[in-house]
Amino acid sequence: MGEPLRQPLEPHHPYPVPAKRKLSSEIWKHRKEYLAISPFYLLFAVFGLFPILFSMYLSFQKWDGIGVMTFNGVNNYRFMLTDPEFWKAVGNTLLIWIYSTIPMLFSALVVAFLLNASFVKFRTFFRIGYFLPNVTSLVAVSIVFSTIFSNNYGLLNYIFTSFGLDPVEWLNHTWGIQLAVSFMVIWRWVGYNAVIYLAGLQSIPSVLYEAAKIDGASGIQSFFRITLPNLRPIILFTVITSTIGGMQIFTEPQVLVGNDGGANGGGLTIVLYLYREAFINNYFGYGSAVGWGMFVLIALFSIFNWKVVQGKGTL
Amino acid sequence: MGKPRMYFFWLLIVVLMLSGCSSNSSNSNQKTLTLWYWNRGLDDKLIQAVQKQFPDVRINAQKIGGDFKSKLKTTLAAGSNGPDIVAFNDWVTELFPSADRFYDLYELGAKDIEADYLDWKWQMGVTPEGKMIAMPIDTGPTALFYREDLFSKAGLPTDPEEVHEQMGTWEDYFKAGAKLQQAFDGKVKLTDNIGGIYTQVNAQSDKIYFDKKDDFIGESSDSSMKKAWDLAVQASQMGLVANTNTFSSEWNAATNNGKIASFVGAVWCKQILMDAAPDTAGKWRVARAPGGDGNNGGSFLAIMKTSKQPKEAFEVMKWLMNPENQVTAFKDINLFPSATKALDAPVMKEKEDFFGGQSTGDIFTESARNVKPAYFGSKYANLNGIVSRELQSVALGKNPDAAWDAALKRVKKELLR
Amino acid sequence: MIRSKNVLLYAGLIAGLIVSVFPFYWLAVMATRTTPEIYSFPPKLWFGTHLFDNISRVFESINFFRTLLNTLFVATASTILVLFFDSLAGYTFAKFTFPGKKWLFVLLLATMMAPAQLSLVPSFVIMAKFGWVGSFKALIIPGMANAFGIFWIRQYAEDSVPSELLDAGKIDGCGFFRLYWNISLPILRPALSFLGAFTFIGAWNDYLWPLIILTDERKFTLQVALASLNGIYTTDYSLVIAGTLLAVIPLIIMFLFISKQFISDIAAGAIKS
Repeated sequence: MGEPLRQPLEPHHPYPVPAKRKLSSEIWKHRKEYLAISPFYLLFAVFGLFPILFSMYLSFQKWDGIGVMTFNGVNNYRFMLTDPEFWKAVGNTLLIWIYSTIPMLFSALVVAFLLNASFVKFRTFFRIGYFLPNVTSLVAVSIVFSTIFSNNYGLLNYIFTSFGLDPVEWLNHTWGIQLAVSFMVIWRWVGYNAVIYLAGLQSIPSVLYEAAKIDGASGIQSFFRITLPNLRPIILFTVITSTIGGMQIFTEPQVLVGNDGGANGGGLTIVLYLYREAFINNYFGYGSAVGWGMFVLIALFSIFNWKVVQGKGTL
Repeated sequence: MGKPRMYFFWLLIVVLMLSGCSSNSSNSNQKTLTLWYWNRGLDDKLIQAVQKQFPDVRINAQKIGGDFKSKLKTTLAAGSNGPDIVAFNDWVTELFPSADRFYDLYELGAKDIEADYLDWKWQMGVTPEGKMIAMPIDTGPTALFYREDLFSKAGLPTDPEEVHEQMGTWEDYFKAGAKLQQAFDGKVKLTDNIGGIYTQVNAQSDKIYFDKKDDFIGESSDSSMKKAWDLAVQASQMGLVANTNTFSSEWNAATNNGKIASFVGAVWCKQILMDAAPDTAGKWRVARAPGGDGNNGGSFLAIMKTSKQPKEAFEVMKWLMNPENQVTAFKDINLFPSATKALDAPVMKEKEDFFGGQSTGDIFTESARNVKPAYFGSKYANLNGIVSRELQSVALGKNPDAAWDAALKRVKKELLR
Repeated sequence: MIRSKNVLLYAGLIAGLIVSVFPFYWLAVMATRTTPEIYSFPPKLWFGTHLFDNISRVFESINFFRTLLNTLFVATASTILVLFFDSLAGYTFAKFTFPGKKWLFVLLLATMMAPAQLSLVPSFVIMAKFGWVGSFKALIIPGMANAFGIFWIRQYAEDSVPSELLDAGKIDGCGFFRLYWNISLPILRPALSFLGAFTFIGAWNDYLWPLIILTDERKFTLQVALASLNGIYTTDYSLVIAGTLLAVIPLIIMFLFISKQFISDIAAGAIKS
């Protein structure tokens, strides 16, 4: 009776103990590395973990933010998945992301490349000018842009009409709103991304280019063979942060067209929808469910983008 | 290379030490009352005068801007660190389900002063169970703002009384509007936007979305919901609205350039109009609104249950909001009174140049006296948002019947949440 | 040939520059006008005469210099702490291997993906429990080691800090911290300049969290004080814009000073080879 029991135990015994010792000694060996990265995880444990667990719990509750919470099962999630406005918000967010991020990162790369080129003069001057939009508070940006894109009396339409063109009612169309929001994003973040790329370009040793030149490589060849591969970690950084930031876009549409997202809800993004449902309509439980739905979307989208940029899918 | 890094290192140490130590707040014998309000929500001069009036009280008045509601809701949700006195806007009704988070002002002696205030306004701060959670600050009686010169050119009456007589109903007002637009070849619109009409018709009503049991009454015949919807749709289909969102930069430009001939709005629109349309000074008049008198906006003061000095807080509130001080606040920052005696003050009858020497106070005080007490229900804003969104899509071309069905369907879904 | 190419290039750069700078110009124009002038159409494209009037009204309405000092303190403290903790962690992630590294990093990235609005209420509850409501600690401490900065430094350090250099340092007897402080930090300087500028700007312009957490007017930061200028029914835009302009000027000045740091010194490039 005892023998069959022993059989499976036997091969187990010798392994776990050394493996454990090995892992713990590995950890001990790297204690300085863990210490170096620990502040983030400690702060996360103290300040970040509870909000996450709380919102997870809240997403299964009905709560107006003040009164008593009542258990609501999966109703919040069911409501979310069947609410056309939620899906509209998802669609709007993705469209705005595409309209803004691709032109933004591309122009940032071009600007950075030019500002890094030795034949361009006044580089410091240009750098400051391009980064300036990122310095402003969104309050300022919002006031300025709402006067620019105003339907009939905006600055843009003033320019249109003075050239004899018809004014465009930007904010009465879904596409107009999305274009205006995208433009605000591009305006604000091109210089920022350009500075990031610039930092990356600067760290590529000039000897590499010199060697390529000796080998007879053209400018375009060295861009694709030296610049892009060396810049890949930086590009990855900008793609991932602008994916996360783009999916969380909120203030721009809010200040431009209000909490309802404007005409036909064209500017209703996911976070704007979340904010409206939680803080305006007082469904804090539901807001949490939307937050988690959004987390899943961002995670999937980020993984996808990571694979696209990184190629092999390694970290 | 080493030097900047050393500076950095020492700065790091200093910062760590500084953020570690906390400053001690000074203690004194005075009782401190914290007050949250917003810019121009209360008369700052009166708040300063509180110190003189109540020597034992130190008032810590904080202007919270922008996301006032987010701050209040976060604090309420966390249940601590709130103020003693807090201002509400007309969303006071959303807080009725949480009435126990505020002191019942009736228990602090509010009954004694109830008769001094406009009844409909006072009742807005009282829950269906009879608890008074908020006390009136100002009111927003509504009236018709119109361009006298444009009405005259179109052959419409221009005298406020005549305007009111001939445009006593919304239908008559729209008919006059059609005539006006014809006279100007459609270059001038009767009014600003479709949502404005919907809001204002409901603002004149005493039955909108809910009865006092919080049951939905939008489909019953005495509710104004469908009536307001139909009138708004009618105006839009007659082409009488300019599609300029109220108080947007669009609205400002359209009023200043004479593209909008009239709108129904609350008394506080005066200041906005004066800022937005200085070129039209002297050309505006105010008449009693088509469809009747109404109220839009107006704020309140409440005492949080977490306050340790409710009695002092109530005394301060009572003093701030007494009829004499309401007159002062009207003079200083145009807060329209909620105390009946203040409505009789001579200052309310002053002539205004922007309105061609008319004393608009006459119209608004009359309007304020005639508002019907209404119950809004805690989900008023949710429902209003749903209907407004559908109405907006009608203005942009959606079939009105389909939009109404969609709105009603969504409202019913909302009521089940 | 080269010349016309250059002309085109500069034309493009300048066009982009104009688009970038124009809103500032317009902000400045609006700050010199009265509210009705701001509303007017056709828009007033040139400076008006009310700048000093608007600015003096800002100074009357809010305690500008106290809020400026508060903001300066919060932004500086946040920046210094973030630079230290993020660079240390980011560099460690980039240049060392240790068990669980991959999953720790995935966790770090995942924390960036939860929307901030979601944690407003629970975060406030934590601060209330710690007694930090109303204190600058609530603005500085939770963000002093953040995922964004660690991610950034990791990406930058991966290629720019040569492993051979670290190995050489180890052979010379440098400890872990010396490798970081003496060898890696100088190389990371451009990345740190960017992170510093970004953190400083973010702290300077942060609005919703300070609004909710600060309870004493004497501790208000600039953005919180500026927001209090918004009225309930009407907003005096000339006042708000003048205040906004005043708040952004210190940032621009700071940026003028720091922008040289964005360009790495030749030494860093030399070390690589």
